[in-house]
Parts: sequence; C-alpha cells; structure tokens
Amino acid sequence: MILLGRRVQVEQRMAVPKSAVVIVPVVSVVFALVVGGVFLALTGHPPIRTYLDLLDNGYTSFYGITDTLGLATPLICTGLAAAFAFRMNLYSIGQEGQMYLGMIGGTWVGIVLADSLPPLIAVPSVLVFGAIAGAAWIAVPAFLRARLGTSEIVSTLLLNYVALNLVNYFIFGSTGFFRDPTTSFPQGRAVAESARLSPMAFFTDKVTNAYPTLFVAILLAVFLFWFMRVSNYGYETAVYADSPNTARYAGMNSAWLQSSVLLVSGALAGVGGAMYVVGPAGKVDPGLLQVGLGYAGIVVAALARYNFLAVVLAAVLFAGLRTGGNALQVSNDPVPIAIAVVLQGAVLLFALGGELFRRNKVTLVRVQRATT
Amino acid sequence: MANLAIVTSASIQHGAGGVLALAARAVTKRFPGVIANDQVNFDLARGEVHTLLGENGAGKSTLASVLCGLYRPEAGQVVRDGKEVRLNSPRDGLAHGIAMVHQHFRLVDRFTVAENVVLGHKSLSFVLATAEIEAKVAAITEEFGLPLDPRAVVGELSAGERQRVEIVKALYQGAEILLLDEPTALLAPPEVEKLFLTVRAMTHVGKSVVFVSHKLGEVVDISDRITVMRGGKVTGSVRRGEADVRRLAELMVGREINIVSRRAKSPVGEVLLSVSQVHLERDGAAMLTDINLEVRGGEIVGVAGVAGNGQRDLAEVIAGLCAPQQGNVTVCGTPTAGRGAGGARRAGLAYVPEDRLGTGLAPSMSIRDNLVLTRVRDFLVDRKSALLEAETFIKQLEIKTPGPLTPTRKLSGGNAQKVLLAREIFAVSGARVLVVCSPTRGLDVGAVETVHALLDEARDAGKAILLVSEDLDEVMTLADRVLVLYRGRITLEQTGLDTNVDRVGQAMAGITT
Ligand SMILES: Nc1ncnc2c1ncn2[C@@H]1O[C@H](COP(=O)(O)OP(=O)(O)O)[C@@H](O)[C@H]1O
Ligand SMILES: [Mg+2]
Repeated sequence: MILLGRRVQVEQRMAVPKSAVVIVPVVSVVFALVVGGVFLALTGHPPIRTYLDLLDNGYTSFYGITDTLGLATPLICTGLAAAFAFRMNLYSIGQEGQMYLGMIGGTWVGIVLADSLPPLIAVPSVLVFGAIAGAAWIAVPAFLRARLGTSEIVSTLLLNYVALNLVNYFIFGSTGFFRDPTTSFPQGRAVAESARLSPMAFFTDKVTNAYPTLFVAILLAVFLFWFMRVSNYGYETAVYADSPNTARYAGMNSAWLQSSVLLVSGALAGVGGAMYVVGPAGKVDPGLLQVGLGYAGIVVAALARYNFLAVVLAAVLFAGLRTGGNALQVSNDPVPIAIAVVLQGAVLLFALGGELFRRNKVTLVRVQRATT
Repeated sequence: MANLAIVTSASIQHGAGGVLALAARAVTKRFPGVIANDQVNFDLARGEVHTLLGENGAGKSTLASVLCGLYRPEAGQVVRDGKEVRLNSPRDGLAHGIAMVHQHFRLVDRFTVAENVVLGHKSLSFVLATAEIEAKVAAITEEFGLPLDPRAVVGELSAGERQRVEIVKALYQGAEILLLDEPTALLAPPEVEKLFLTVRAMTHVGKSVVFVSHKLGEVVDISDRITVMRGGKVTGSVRRGEADVRRLAELMVGREINIVSRRAKSPVGEVLLSVSQVHLERDGAAMLTDINLEVRGGEIVGVAGVAGNGQRDLAEVIAGLCAPQQGNVTVCGTPTAGRGAGGARRAGLAYVPEDRLGTGLAPSMSIRDNLVLTRVRDFLVDRKSALLEAETFIKQLEIKTPGPLTPTRKLSGGNAQKVLLAREIFAVSGARVLVVCSPTRGLDVGAVETVHALLDEARDAGKAILLVSEDLDEVMTLADRVLVLYRGRITLEQTGLDTNVDRVGQAMAGITT
C-alpha cells in the first residue's frame, strides 16, 4: 500500500510491549464507537443517547444484564469450543451444528430418561448427553483430519447445514419423536420437568432469562484454563500447536492430539446446546437456529485470543451488544437492527484489527524510487 | 587431479569465455548478528556455468539474492555487461535479464503451469491470451528440455516439475542470466541429470548460469568454474579441469583442520548403541543402505559426510522417528527399530536434532517448559522442578537470557543449543546413548567451545555418543572413531590416532581407494 509517497511497513515485534496489551483494546473499542457513532449520526440517531440506551439495555438495567447473561451462557460454551480447537491450529467452524446436536441429544435424554430420574441426576444427564452428541457430530471430521489430513474447515462447516436441516426436519418435516404429539402446531416435544432448571431470580421475585447453567459454563472455563495450564495433555497440545515437528520429535501422538482436541471442542459446543434445553427451551426448538450462537462463539474465541477465562468476558460483552441492540429496535426511537449489527461488526473488526498493532510494529517509510 | 590451481577471486577478471555478463564487486551484506557477505567478489562470463559452493550459512543465497535484486548490499556494486546497475527489486533484476530460482519455490499451487509462468509479468493484458501463452511455454519447454504440461495445476506437480516451472518462468520473462539456488536439493539423481542437460542447453544459446550448491560431489561435472564461500567470504576459486574435490572440501570446511583433539580419557565400555544392516527407503529411493555401526560407552563416534548423504535419515532411524524397512537398532540392549521415538527414549536414548528451534525445542515455549519435553511426564506436569533445573543450567552454562521463562526463540543460536544439550545430556533420566547432529552449526566460537566441552564431559561420564556432523573439523576434533557416510552408505571407518584427514575428505567426496 503506498500513501503519499510513503509505504506502510509492517514488522513483527520481537517483544510485545506491556503497554500495547492495554492500549490496543481500549483504542479499538473507542474507534469502533466512533465509527458506529458516525453511522448513527448519518441515519439521524443521536449517537451518545443511543449508546447510553444500548449500555442500559445490554448491561446496566436489571433485565438487560440478566438477558445478557442468559444469552451468554451457551455462547461461553461455543466460545470455549472454538478456542479449544483454534489454540491447536484446528479451525473447526462446526460449533453451530454441534450445538444443535447437543440440543437434540439432550432433549432425547430429557424425554426418555428424565421422567424416572430426580433433577439432580436428570439435568446433568441432559448436559452430558448433549456433550456426547456434540462430540459425535465432529467425530467424522476429526477422524478425517487426524488420519487423512483432510481440512476440518470444510467438513465441519458442511455438517452445520446437515444439522440445521435435521432440526428443521424433526420439527417441521415430520411428526416423529421430537415433535410435540399433543398439538398439530409444529413444535418440539417437551422434556420432563425434572430435566429443567428454573431461571435465576438474583434475590428478587422477578422472572429472568438467566439460568444456573451460567455457573456451569463459567466453571467449565475455569477448569479448562487450569487444566490446560498444568496437565500433560495441555502441555502436549501446546507443543503441537507451537511446532508439530517438535511434537513428533518428542514422540507425541499427533493423530490422538488432533482428534481428541476436536472431539472435546465438539463436546463443549454440544453442552451449549444442551444448556438451551435445560434452560429456556425445554425441547428441540428451531428458535436456536436464528441466534447463530455457534458462529458467534468463533468471534468470541477470537476476541478472547483463545484464552478460556477471557472467553467468559468476551461472551458477556458480545451477548450484551446483542441484547442491547435488540432492545434498541423496540425503543421509542427505534434504531434499525442493521445499525446494531454494524456496531457489533465495528467493535469486532477493530478489536481483531488491533491485534495487528499489538503483534507488529507499523511504520511509514519513504518510498525510494528505483534508479535503474 | 593432483594439480590444482586455486585462484583468489580478486585476481580473476575474466572468466572462461571472456565477456563478463555479471559481477559482484566487494559486496557486503549484513543481517542482525552476522555478516552474510563480506567484501565478496564474484563474476560470471557469457555462456558460463559458475558454481557457488559452500556449507549451509556460508552466504551463497545472500549473494545470489543481491545479484538478482532481492537484497540491496550495504556496500559494493553489481555490474551487468560492464556497467554498474542498482537493483532495487527482483523486477529491476529481470529488466536486466537476471532471474533467480529460489531454494523455496514461489509458485501459486492452484494455478496452472501457464498461469504461474505469466504471473507478475509486466505486459500482461487484462484477459489472458491463454492459447498464445501456452504455445510460448511449450516452445520454451521444447527448446531447453523441460517437459511440462502448460495446463497442469502446479499443486499436483512433483518438486522436480515445480522447479522446471520456475525455470520456464524465468526464461519466459527473458532471463539471460539464471541464478539457481540449491536446485538439486529436492531432486532425485535422474532428475539432476535432466537439470544438467537443461543448464547446458541454456549456456549453448549464450545464457549464463550461477549454480548454487553445498553438495561437493555433484558440482564438478556441470561447472565451468567453482567459487567456494565460507563464513561470508570467498575462500577460493577453481576452473574447470582444475577442480579437485579434496581441496574443494578443504576450502569449504576451512583451511586448517585442527587435529588437536579431545579423545576418550578412559577405556571404552560395553556396546550401548548398535545398528545392524539397516536399510531405509523413502518414496522408492534408497536413503540408507546396509548401515552397520556400534558405539560403546565412553566414546564418541563421528559420522562425517557432505550434507544430504543420509545423515538425517540415520539419526531419525536411531531416534525412532522413522522405521527402517530392514535392520535392527539396539539401544542399551533393547531393540528399538520401529518402536517410535518414545520407545527409543525409554530404552535410554537422547537425541539432539540438527534443527534446534523447529524440532529440538518448542520455539514459543519457555526454557522451563522445554526442559520437560523429552522426559516422562505425569498427568500433571511438574514445572517446579523444571524451573529449578532451568535456573541451574542458566547459571552453570552461562546461558544469556532474562530468565527461565523466556521463550526459546528469543535465545541466540548458541544459547538455544545449550538448553537443548543440557536437556538431552543431563535432564533425561538414565539416557546413556546420545545422538547429536550438527551441534555447532551457525554458532560463534565461544559457543562452539562450550558445546564441545559438554560433549567431552558426557563422554567421560560414560555415555555412548554418535556425533553426526558436516563439519569435518568438528568430527576430527571430537571423535574417537570416524565413519564417512556417502550416498547412504558407510564408505570408510577409521579409528582414533590413525585417522587420515585426506582419506576422510576423499571418502566424503565419494572417492574410495
Ligand atoms: N533474511 C535473513 N535474515 C537474517 N539473517 C539471514 C537472512 N538470510 C540469511 N541470513 C544469515 O546470513 C548467513 C548466510 O546465509 P545464506 O546466504 O542463506 O547462506 P547459504 O545460502 O550459503 O546457506 C547465515 O548466517 C544466515 O543465518
Ligand atoms: Mg542457501
């Protein structure tokens, strides 16, 4: 890129200065807000007030923050799933489909087994089965990747579409097991009551959209953070991610590392889908298809730079933009959803773009004319 | 061949044919920490094949890159047809008819041969005149003996074919001078012969070729002139017919070969490593043939040889990283061939690979974390003792680093090598056999001394050490016995004091008496 006789030169930093770690994300968010503000102003919405509204609806009001936490719960799981795979340079983008399968698998247990089980066992069974279903959904891509070196990107993506059609088929296309038999209205068959959790009230008498599964998701993040830091498994995956040749030299089993990481990633996404079952949905609910929490998990993981604890924060941040953005549409000065999406996009683009500045030193150098 | 004429390059004004096509005059090029080219003079006559010979890191690629315009030297000039030219980019080089085929190909895998050939070509119209291009490509492949299907997709071609694409591309762009950087590195012997025919076809029509290589054996036939580099400097230059591989080897590895040596102080012990009748093939080509060797506790056995004669395969077979088709490897009495790297280690083997940062160490991980790489790890990794160990090593071996948590990629080559050696010699529990490959490549004198002292110490502690090195000097200094590996076979074995440097040098070049 040449600008006014100067060339932008990008050099990798040898050491990332401490200040860059703090300054870059802050500047990224500020830039994003400025860009978003310009959009708002151009479309005739007062930027500052809209931002305050967004803040209130997404984070600071009681219903705002509880909605956000509820949405963040499965998002933490898909974010962890993406981070887990991406850390190992395995670019699975199948979290969306694995999450649907988690919903289907969890619902199946919730319908078949949960009746005879107390909630203390029924709810975990749903989650565990969701995990198994999610892992099963990535088993074939994992095998292809580990044994034949087939790119996991395409195979996992394709399976997302299969999973999507599977859900649609169960609810709209057939009157099978997952379809509610008590009505002709196309909706899912409800799981047993013992397989459901009640929403958290946060010491009030209000009904919120946040469920105790939030703590399960946070615990998962903390556990992964700890486990991958101290365990041999975490060590081997880190070596493999850093240098596959070194892993080979040290006698590590790369096929096992690759396939197990993908399976765990699928399981994490599956748990996210199962949390939707024990929480708000209680059935196979095509509503989940509208939210895109699987793809959002990839963004969350990237924002968190694949750090498991940061995934929790990034998921809450991202979910807040969502809920806040949705609320703006129904305020008395409705902001079109497109603007909310632009805002989200701007935050993400700048946050990811900031990465360039964190890792590299960017300078302008004078272009020297070729003298030949 | 005994009569050899070594001409210092400064005294050569005109090469084989007379007219100088291209020359470097006192070219100096620095990289952080090294002078890759130090006042280098080099010239090339029209129609000549001038070989640039030298060990890895000698500065050959750097010189070729200066000549083609990829690098700009800090001092010195590039002269084309008697006039100084300033080349700011490979594009400028091409404008003067100079093109380089890099060691690592620069092709787009998804494009066809023809598309790759015209890629980056200046006068490209918006819509490709495919038929015309393909016809022209076909004409070039015909003339210079470079069989290629212009419509084949590059991603599906072999290394040899890709190289032809690079050459065709250079010729298509009108190159009169072709710089081939290590063109034979990826080729099988029959392909090398084909390449030589192409080179001859080019010089036949008046084009000139700079042929870069670190393989002594192959260059004598093709070259009109050979210039040897070592440590960024030109150490000598010989003409066709005067080339004597023995002296060339000496020019490559250094004039004086020190035989003031470190030898085993104590009598050798029992056989700890034995390799018998090992045969290894890769993709149908024999890499190792009938390898037999034994190493006893308390001795260093040196494997000498010019790069690419099977050293790496030998080390990998012993380390369990690749399984030989035939033969046995025994480490401390346990057969290990085909049991994987873990099997060899459990039997008592430690291995220092040639590629420190990309193989021996995990570059982004800390010194501490690298120390646990080859040890038996529990479910939870014990980093506490590794930290203490790291601190001890840093102090004892004077490793220059901010601390044990520094990533190894931030260490200099010498310090990274100390970490790697320390881990393999001291930290691996019970390893009595040590395989070490090119342990001092690219290190400065001080670090070389430390590494040699460490190996010496390990020998005196009773370890069986196999030292695989292309540095003949190093082998002669350290080894109690010397083997020469040539084209995957052990062609010479000499013991201790009767080691004859000349005979080793000859064997390295494939001459056996
Ligand atoms: N781009 C580079 N950056 C830093 N150092 C380099 C670079 N290229 C080469 N060097 C260093 O310069 C020296 C000569 O390298 P090179 O010309 O590649 O040698 P050769 O081609 O003879 O093996 C080596 O010490 C190498 O590490
Ligand atoms: Mg080179």
